[in-house]
Amino acid sequence: MAFDCAIIGAGPAGMSAAISLSAAGADTIVLDRAPRAGGQIYRSVADSPLADVSLLGEEYLQGAALIEAYENSGATHMADADVWHIGSDGTILFSRDGETHQIQTREILICPGAMERPMPIPGWTLPGVMTAGSAQVMLKSDAVTAENAVFAGSGPLLYLIVAQYLRLGVKVAGLVDTTPLANYRSAMHLGPSALRSWPMLHKGLSLLREIRASGIPFYRNARELRILGDQRAEGLSFHSNGRRDIRSDTVFLHHGVIPQTNITRALGLDHVWSDIQKCWHVKSNAWGQSSSPHISVAGDGARISGAEAAQSSGRVAAANILTRLGRINLQDRDQQCRLDHAFLAKQAPFRRFIDTLYNPAPALSLPEDPDTLVCRCEEQSVQNLRDGFDKGAANPNALKSLTRCGMGPCQGRQCGPIVTGLLAKWRGISEADVGYYRLRSPQRLLNLKEFSRFHALSAQSDKEAAE
Amino acid sequence: MNADVLIIGGGIQGCATAYHLAKSGVSVIVLEKDYAGRHASGVNAGGVRLLGRDIAEVPLSKASMQMWQGLDKTLGEDTGFRRRSLINIAADDADIETLRARQQVMQSAGHSHERLMDQQELREALPHVHPSCLGGVTSDLDGYAIPYKATLAFKRAAIRAGARFMEGEELISMRRVGPVWLVQTRTADYEGDTVVNCAGAWADKVATMIGDQVPLSHAAPMLMITTRLPHFAGPVVGAVSRQLSFKQFANGTVLIGGGAKGFADRARNETRLDYAKLASAARTAIEFFPIMAGASINRMWAGLEAYMPDNLPVIGPAANADRAFHAFGYSAHGFQMGPITGKVMADLVIGGICDFDLTAFRIDRFDRKTL
Repeated sequence: MAFDCAIIGAGPAGMSAAISLSAAGADTIVLDRAPRAGGQIYRSVADSPLADVSLLGEEYLQGAALIEAYENSGATHMADADVWHIGSDGTILFSRDGETHQIQTREILICPGAMERPMPIPGWTLPGVMTAGSAQVMLKSDAVTAENAVFAGSGPLLYLIVAQYLRLGVKVAGLVDTTPLANYRSAMHLGPSALRSWPMLHKGLSLLREIRASGIPFYRNARELRILGDQRAEGLSFHSNGRRDIRSDTVFLHHGVIPQTNITRALGLDHVWSDIQKCWHVKSNAWGQSSSPHISVAGDGARISGAEAAQSSGRVAAANILTRLGRINLQDRDQQCRLDHAFLAKQAPFRRFIDTLYNPAPALSLPEDPDTLVCRCEEQSVQNLRDGFDKGAANPNALKSLTRCGMGPCQGRQCGPIVTGLLAKWRGISEADVGYYRLRSPQRLLNLKEFSRFHALSAQSDKEAAE
Repeated sequence: MNADVLIIGGGIQGCATAYHLAKSGVSVIVLEKDYAGRHASGVNAGGVRLLGRDIAEVPLSKASMQMWQGLDKTLGEDTGFRRRSLINIAADDADIETLRARQQVMQSAGHSHERLMDQQELREALPHVHPSCLGGVTSDLDGYAIPYKATLAFKRAAIRAGARFMEGEELISMRRVGPVWLVQTRTADYEGDTVVNCAGAWADKVATMIGDQVPLSHAAPMLMITTRLPHFAGPVVGAVSRQLSFKQFANGTVLIGGGAKGFADRARNETRLDYAKLASAARTAIEFFPIMAGASINRMWAGLEAYMPDNLPVIGPAANADRAFHAFGYSAHGFQMGPITGKVMADLVIGGICDFDLTAFRIDRFDRKTL
């Protein structure tokens, strides 16, 4: 017996979809890597280690209600399930408790979420340099903060973590904002249409006001960033009305988020380059269906639109899957999705505004110094890649075969976007024409012993295992 | 575009053939439908193996092995070749018997490169092997190279010698018109006096265009590689009768093969993996080398490879056309043969003869007499 639908990832999109699917009687399994549902954004909200969780903000708290609804939905939840292979034949393999499990499903909904865009400034691989996202994980999961850290980069998530630090009374050495002045100019004319999403706009503006009011050093239009230190981070050097150095053991970088496409890549689905979001999107229609009709995508893993939109896109994808399963007809689907489609349409101008305002500065997306590492796993620098390119490796796969760039444990997650960008620059063609690595399962490191313990499970026994 | 010789396929056989021809002053164009080294030549296990070859292949393989020892120098490139020896492990008495019989055949043919090992020698060479293993057989000159690097090395050396590579050029048609071969791709027309078919898993289609029918099949041998481990195996490791094959590279990563096959989708240029079979290869690896239980698999993949019914390649002139030659169907052990193939094909193209008996590799060896 196979499941009607398997959902990968229990973030806002996956949870919302599971609620809809289960309510309509579809046999649904959700595979999630974390010990508890919630995804990155609602990580640990249901069992926070923080004394006063409200300091993390209202949006975070809202996640608790969604998690509760999801946990009561009747969907089979597989926590600690590390999915490492999805086949277009509906086979899913995952590791759990030191063994490999296999399930079969008719429909697949992939909600892998977002990852932070790599920010390869000189020294970005030194110990002590982390991402704003990892600051969030430490805070949410373990209530751990870093005293006197520098935050550098651009985008809403950067301001959010700084504000959260300030509310918790953690000393912040400075916020170095790299948003180029030109972005404000291009975003300005989009402002009026973004006003339709006033609550979201308001939220962003209040964060910035809160940070400014705190009086921490706040530098704008920063460029030419460089991590100080040889063996480990000793601070950040940058240009903002003159060259400045801030001394600190910890530098958090953030440069916006991009969809995680490793799973959809390994599935061989079509992907398109987005010139607006400056990243790859898995190709999908208004119902989240990919180039393979039985595989759908939702949430920030499909395109970056935030947690609320992720919930809408999860419900929309679920409704469409229900018609494919023969459980509801097309009229019902369209009726069910009216509000969500309207919401998605309404917030599009706001998203456009955010994408334009926080469009990544090219100088920060592509390393310029020949010694800067592109591939951290295999320690390949810009110069190593340039040598490979000069030897004739002109596409990402040939360059990978020649230099080992992208062969390491991160499966090219970090270097992939940079390699595409560098090759586009060197060849004078678009990212779309350069393409991306050909990826394979496993999605992450797989212990050989764990792999050798290979079990195929039915829907029934999986439910028992989950209980 | 015109050239004396058009080579179809930019794998290691095509690149090596281009190198040897260009070195001899022959004008060469290589037509490659993807990019050089995209398929089996670029993604295979990198084994450079003389051990355990079919007796018909031994003379060619021996000559190739000599070429490998100095190949980096010859080509002026890094192929990643390392001489490490190869050991095939005998797990039980039946394996020992198989090895003894093989030894007799090899000795009576005058070949002495395969040497039997007893249990003690095996343990000294591979201290982490399971203590129940009884012995093995080894060949000293064997080792490994980095497949994509080696293929690219031949390509770059060929280009320096004057060969031209046209990549992304898939054949639409090829026919002999009077004294020339006319080749059409999606974007251009080519003309040559001679064609050489090195098209790997697609070689039967090219052979048909030449006029030869051949029972070629294709499959997708699967591989997996671990993250870095402490060094525990110097020699390349195989087994007499089990699906076990691995090598530990200088950087500590371990490449595990063993011959398990996935699904080959030639029309779409794709392979899919059969994870249950790979899991069984993982079990075998742990059984023979318990130290591997803690290893982490980093990547898994498969390449599209061409197989002949007798697992021997096709090497030699076309049966049904003039000025056409074949070198394909190496059945998952052609990488080591690349260097000598290039030399043999160049000799055949230029002088019509070579130093080896190619009877076992004739393209028409499976032709049936019909009623």
